[in-house]
Amino acid sequence: MANSVFRKDVQTRIDEIREADILVGIPSYNNAGTIGHVVRAVQAGFAKYFPDKKCVLVNSDGGSTDGTMDIVRNTAIEDFQSVLLHHRVSPLFKLTMPYHGIPGKGSAFRAIFEIADALNVKACAVVDSDLRSITPEWIELLLKPVLEGGFDYVAPLYHRHKYDGTITNSIVYPLTRALYGKRIRQPIGGDFGFSGRLAKFYLTKDVWETDVARFGIDIWMTTTAIANGFKICQSFLGAKIHDPKDPGADLSAMLFQVASSTFDLMETYTHVWRGINASGPVPAFGFQYAVGLEPVSVNLDRMLERFRLGVRELRGIWKEFLPPGTIAFLDKAGDLKKEEFNMPEEVWVEIMYSFATAAHKKIMNREHLLKSLTPLYIGRTASFVIETWSSDAREVEEKIERLCRVFEEKKVFLLERWD
Amino acid sequence: MNVYEVAITEPFQKFYEKVIQFLPSFLTSMFILIVGFVLGFLLKGLLSRFFRVIGLDRVSERSGVIELLKKGGVTEPFSSLLSRVIGWITIVIFAGISMSALQIPTVERLLERFLLYLPNIFVAGLILLFGYLLGNFFGRAALIASVNAGVRFSNLIGKSVKYLILILSATMALEQLGIGKGTIVIAFAIIFGGIVLALAVSFGLGGRDLAKEYLEKKVRCEEKKDEISHL
Repeated sequence: MANSVFRKDVQTRIDEIREADILVGIPSYNNAGTIGHVVRAVQAGFAKYFPDKKCVLVNSDGGSTDGTMDIVRNTAIEDFQSVLLHHRVSPLFKLTMPYHGIPGKGSAFRAIFEIADALNVKACAVVDSDLRSITPEWIELLLKPVLEGGFDYVAPLYHRHKYDGTITNSIVYPLTRALYGKRIRQPIGGDFGFSGRLAKFYLTKDVWETDVARFGIDIWMTTTAIANGFKICQSFLGAKIHDPKDPGADLSAMLFQVASSTFDLMETYTHVWRGINASGPVPAFGFQYAVGLEPVSVNLDRMLERFRLGVRELRGIWKEFLPPGTIAFLDKAGDLKKEEFNMPEEVWVEIMYSFATAAHKKIMNREHLLKSLTPLYIGRTASFVIETWSSDAREVEEKIERLCRVFEEKKVFLLERWD
Repeated sequence: MNVYEVAITEPFQKFYEKVIQFLPSFLTSMFILIVGFVLGFLLKGLLSRFFRVIGLDRVSERSGVIELLKKGGVTEPFSSLLSRVIGWITIVIFAGISMSALQIPTVERLLERFLLYLPNIFVAGLILLFGYLLGNFFGRAALIASVNAGVRFSNLIGKSVKYLILILSATMALEQLGIGKGTIVIAFAIIFGGIVLALAVSFGLGGRDLAKEYLEKKVRCEEKKDEISHL
C-alpha cells in the first residue's frame, strides 16, 4: 500500500518534474566509496542510450553518515565525449532523499516505487550502490526490454565468482525454479528493470513491515512478478563485482530474511506452485562473454567447524522436523574429516523442503527455526567448495544445474508433507 | 431426674437432636457433592467432544501449546486435557459449596481463607507458566545465536539462560504465595550475584590465556576470513 508521505522538498521536486519516462533508483547506506561510480554509470547510460527520454535518478538513502547523499548530489559527468556522446537532448533530474520505515533495502525500494508511481514513469530500474563493475550498458540492458520489448520485469544475468552468491546458488535459484517453473538464474541479483505498471502493482501489496522491507525485497519482487503472470526476461550484464554486502549484517540474519521471505511467498502463492512440475527457460538478452573475476578466499576449516558445532548442539531442534534418514546422515557427517566431507544434493534438498514445511506448519518460532538453518547451509556451502575446488565456471554451472534438477524431482517430497 | 437419665439418656438425646439438626445440612452437602461429581464428569465428556469437533487440537498444535506440553512430558491431546481440567475445576467448586453447606464455623472460616488465597495461587501458576514459556524461548534463542556465532559452549549458554529465567519465575511465584517473602529474594540475589562473580573470576583466571590468544588473533588478523558473498 502506498501510504508514505514525501518530505516537502521531495514533493516540491516531484511537482517540478511532474512526469518522466525512465527512473533509475539507487538504494544506499554508507556507500560513499562506490556510489559515485554507480551514479556516473547511470548518467552516462541515460545520455548514451536514452537521450530523448525524460530521465530521473533517485537515491533512496538509509541515513548514511559518510556523505553518500552529498556524493550523489555532486556527481556529474563533465566530459560526455568520454562516453562517445556530443550532447544530451533531455535534462536529467536527480532526487536524493532519506527513506522512512524499517531500515533496509526493501524500504528504500518502496520509496523508489512511490516516486515512480508519482511520476507515472514507463520503465524503472534499480541498481545496487556497492557495484564496482556497473557500466552505462547496464542501464540500456535493464530498461530497453521494458520500453521496446514489452517486458514487465528484467532480471539480471551475471558472471560471478563460483563462491559468490552462495545463497542464490544453493537455495533461492533452485527453489524458485522448482516452485514456479521459471529458470531465472539471479532471482535476488539486486539489479532489476521493471515497468511502471509493475511498480504500481508492487505498491498495492502490504508487505512493508515484513522481511520484504529488508533483504527479502529481491526475491519478493521476482516471485511477485512470476506468480502474477507478468512478462519476464533476463539481461546479461557481464561481471558482478561489488563491495561485501552490509558488513554489519551477519550471515544468519541475511539467511533468515531471505528464507523467511521465500517461505512467506510459498504461503501466498501455494495455488500457483502446487501445479507446476517442470521448469522452462526465460528469454535472455545481451551479448554473453567471458570475464575475469577476482579470487575469493575461503576458510574451509572454520566452515566445517561451524557445521559440526551445529550438528552437536542443534540436533535436538532439527530432530523435530527433519526426516530420520537426514538426521542419521548429519550424525555421520559431523564426524567426517575435511577430505571426506560431502553433503549430497538429495540431502540438501530434503533439508530445504523440510524447513519450508516446518515453517508452513509453524512447528516452532519462525526466527528460531530459520536461524537454525545457518550451520546446515554452511555445511552445504563447504561441501560445494570441496566439490568445485578445481572446477571452472562451466563445471560449476553444471553442478548447480544438477542441484536444480534434484529440487524439481523431489518436489513431490514437499507436496506430500505440505498439507 | 435420676442418675440414669442425667448420665445416659440426656447426652444421647442431645446427640440425637444435634444429628437430626445436622442431618439436613449433611445430606444437602452430600447431594451438592454428588451433583458436582456428575456435572464435572458430564462436562468433561461433552467438552472433550466439543473441542475435538471445533479442531482445538489443530489450533493448539499450530500455536505451539502442544510443543510446550510435550516438553513437560504431557502426551495427552490438548482437547482432552482442557476438558479434564474444566471437569475437575467444576468438582472442586462444588466440593467447596458442599463444605460450606455443612455450616460448620471452622470449615467456613478455612474455606473463606482458602478462597481469599486462591487468586495468589492462580497468579503464581501464571507466573510459573510464563516463566516456563519464556525460559524455553530465550534458552533456545540463546543456543541458536551462540551456535551461529561459533561459540563452543553454546549448550551451556542456552541452558543457563533457560534455568535463570525458570529460577527467577519460581522466586516470583513463591513471593506471590507469600512463602519466605524476603528470604527468597535475598537468596536469589545472593545466588545470582554468586554465579556472576564465579563466572567473572573463572573467566578472568581460567580464560586469561584464551582471551590473550583471541585478542592476538584479532589484532594481528591471523584468522583467515571468508570472502564468500552469500547473497
